[in-house]
This record gives sequence, structure tokens and C-alpha cells, in this order.
Amino acid sequence: MSSTACRLYRNTTLGNRLQEILLQFDKAINSALAQRVRNRVNFRGSLNMYRFPDNVWTFVLNNVEFREVTELTKVDKVKTVACNSKNTGSITTE
Amino acid sequence: MPSAPLRPSRPLARGCLLTGPSPTPTAGPLPMDEETYLELYLDQCAVQDDLVPPRSPLFSPVVPYVYTPHPSNPETTFNSHHESKETSGDFSSVDLSFLPDELTQENKDQAVIRSKHEIEENCEAQSQQSRLPLPSGQDVGPSLDSSSLSNSHSHLHLGDADSIQSSPEKPNSNSLPLASITPMTPMTPVSECCGIVPQLQNIVSTVNLACKLDLKKIALHAKNAEYNPKRFAAVIMRIREPRTTALIFSSGKMVCTGAKSEEQSRLAARKYARVVQKLGFPARFLDFKIQNMVGSCDVRFSIRLEGLVLTHQQFSSYEPELFPGLIYRMVKPRIVLLIFVSGKVVLTGAKERSEIYEAFENIYPILKGFRKA
Repeated sequence: MSSTACRLYRNTTLGNRLQEILLQFDKAINSALAQRVRNRVNFRGSLNMYRFPDNVWTFVLNNVEFREVTELTKVDKVKTVACNSKNTGSITTE
Repeated sequence: MPSAPLRPSRPLARGCLLTGPSPTPTAGPLPMDEETYLELYLDQCAVQDDLVPPRSPLFSPVVPYVYTPHPSNPETTFNSHHESKETSGDFSSVDLSFLPDELTQENKDQAVIRSKHEIEENCEAQSQQSRLPLPSGQDVGPSLDSSSLSNSHSHLHLGDADSIQSSPEKPNSNSLPLASITPMTPMTPVSECCGIVPQLQNIVSTVNLACKLDLKKIALHAKNAEYNPKRFAAVIMRIREPRTTALIFSSGKMVCTGAKSEEQSRLAARKYARVVQKLGFPARFLDFKIQNMVGSCDVRFSIRLEGLVLTHQQFSSYEPELFPGLIYRMVKPRIVLLIFVSGKVVLTGAKERSEIYEAFENIYPILKGFRKA
């Protein structure tokens, strides 16, 4: 449903421009994550739940400690969604 | 077991007396007869029995002549029931050998399932069979009883096919199920020589959920599930209690591993089935079967493995460079034992708990013979 609708309005002046910009955004983010992000955070907690369909990991951890060299943060519940990439990036949401 | 306080110590008796009058819709004078009949029968049995089987409430308390496995006996019981109530003498011929001293959950469940299958297949046929050996003059009594039989059969039929809690209908003992419950070797693993009992470490079982499954949907919605179709074509699901792992295939078949006892394995498999069911699939619980049991124990002395492999070469294989343990393939029972110098023994390949115990009892004297120093 969505793909046929997309084809209708995306191939417009506005749509094309926005798609180019989105591509640029993707590239910029990927290079930034690869090059500019240097620090490393470790986190550990107890695993409440995990899931792994379609190569996407979802974890729910409890009593998590985020440990960086400088500081320590404690959180009750963390949901982590992660996919494979060359440099193993991840997106975390609370 | 004390023979003196009979009636209170027999749960079956209690059950019978309680449920005797109620299920038979036809009962007039009959429940009274059944009660006195039962009392006499039990008095007779108490003299014969050594042990009251703790699992006896499993069998249906409705019909007192439950305990006759042989096809010939129902005739005698029918006759004795209706012709002379006081024929406790007839029951000296009743074969109670099928009542096991101890029955493991697994055997009981298997027996239950077997008998349940038999019942579901032969329900009507057997209720008719039971009418056949009846003496012609005694139509009223037996037909009432058989109708109560068939009533309770139909109850079973309508009941949840998967629930093993529903007591199976023992009156169908004309057929195989009861005869197939062999008198058990005592399940308590008393070894004459030592008090060492192998502990079960792992049980692998399989069950058929009997419906096609959408693995992607399961992996997406279930907790603690992994699905990587490129690597392996099944969903790997885990539960915490009992701590087990299950492989669930799209055909609906499932393998459950990691449980420490037969009952835990069954319980875990049921929990997985319930998870699948809650996701919207019409899961059932067919053909639960334990495929492998692993046990381990410690004989507490060092063993000369080289000596053992020399004398038992047709059974043993020992390659210390390959694997530090001696692999002993016992023929009867068909169990593989891994024997280590430290005295630790791992037993695997069993389908029944008794096979593990038997194998250990067989190997222990052999190992003692190869004790180091």
C-alpha cells in the first residue's frame, strides 16, 4: 500500500529534493558515527527480555549501570535496539 | 505399609466411597452394593497387598472392579458381583501385579496417555465389549454399570485431550493399557554396594504442537526468542522456570532441552506450548516423548582407565590424546558412559531414568575392580 502511494508523490520536485537530502543525512551520520565518535560506554545489568527477529536485537535490561571512564549512571530499565553494522553501532532508548 | 488401618490409608477407598453414589444416574440399590462390594474387595486386597500404590487415585474410582487387567477377570467379577456379594474369594485370583510399587511421573503419564489414546479410540467398542461377557440373567445390574462406564468415557472424550490430570478410565483394562504397565523395578535407586545415586543433569524431549507456525511472528512477539533463519531454521526460546531452552520449528515440532527431571521437561514443554498458543496459534500437545537423559555421578576413587580398556575392549574406547575420558558403550541397558580418571562418571543415552540407574549399578563393581592404589 505505502510503496505505490510513495511512488506517486515522491517523484516530484519537492519529493526528489527531500530524498537527496535524506541520502546526504544518512551518509553524514554514518561517517560521523564512524569517525567522530570515540568514547566508549560500558553498561551492565540483569537481562529481563531479549528478542532477535530479522537480525535486529531488542534487549530489556533492569538495574543497569552505564559506565564511562568519567562517570557512572544508574538506570532502572533500559530498552536497547541494535542491528549489525561494520563498527557495531547501536541506538538506545529509555 | 501398615495393613491395620485400612480404609483411612487408602485414598482410593475414600475416593470410591465419596463418588460411588453420584456419577451413576441410574443408581437405586446399586451404590450400596458397590460400597459393600468395594469394602469386601479392599479387605481382601489388604491381605494380599504389600504396598499401597501412592498413585492409585489416578485410576478411576468410579468403578470398583477397576483392578482386573485380564480379559477373563471381568467375567468373574461381573458374576461374583451380581451372584454373590460375598465372593471375596474370587479376588484371590485378581492379578494386582500391574500396580507398581512406585510409579514415576513419566511412566504414569505415558500410561495415562496410552490408556487415554486407547480409550479415545475404542470407547464405544469397549463399552460394548464389557457387555458381552455378562451372564444373561443379570441384565439390569451390568448394563447399569456399563452405562456408567460409557458415561464416564464420554466425559473423558469431551474433556481436554491434553490434560493429563483427568483420570483415565481404567475399566477399559480389557485392552492393552493396563497390561502394558509392567511391574516396575523399584525406582528408588538403591545400589547394594554403595549409596551413590547418579543425578540427572539434562533431559531432551520432543513434542508435536500439531500446527504450522509462523516463526517470524513468534520471534517478533515472544519474549526471549531468537530467530536467525540464515543460521538455523528454528526459533530458539528460553524460559527461566524450569530453566530450559526450546527449538521450535515451523512444522510445529518442538525440542525441549535443559530440564533436570522428566516432570520438569514436560512442564517446560507445556509452558512453551502455552506461549505459542497465546500468540494465536492452535497449539496442542501431542506425542510428548523423552529422547535422551543424561546423568552424572562420582565414585570417589581414582580409576585405572588403561586397565579397564584392556579387559573390556569390546565395550570401551580410550584415546587419551583425543579425549581424556574412557567411552564405555554398555550393551544392556544401551547406555554410553564417559569414565574419567578422577572417578567422575557421565551416563547418557537413556530413555528412562531406570536405565541410568541400572547402567551405574552395572559399572560400579567393574570400576571398583580398577581402583587406583
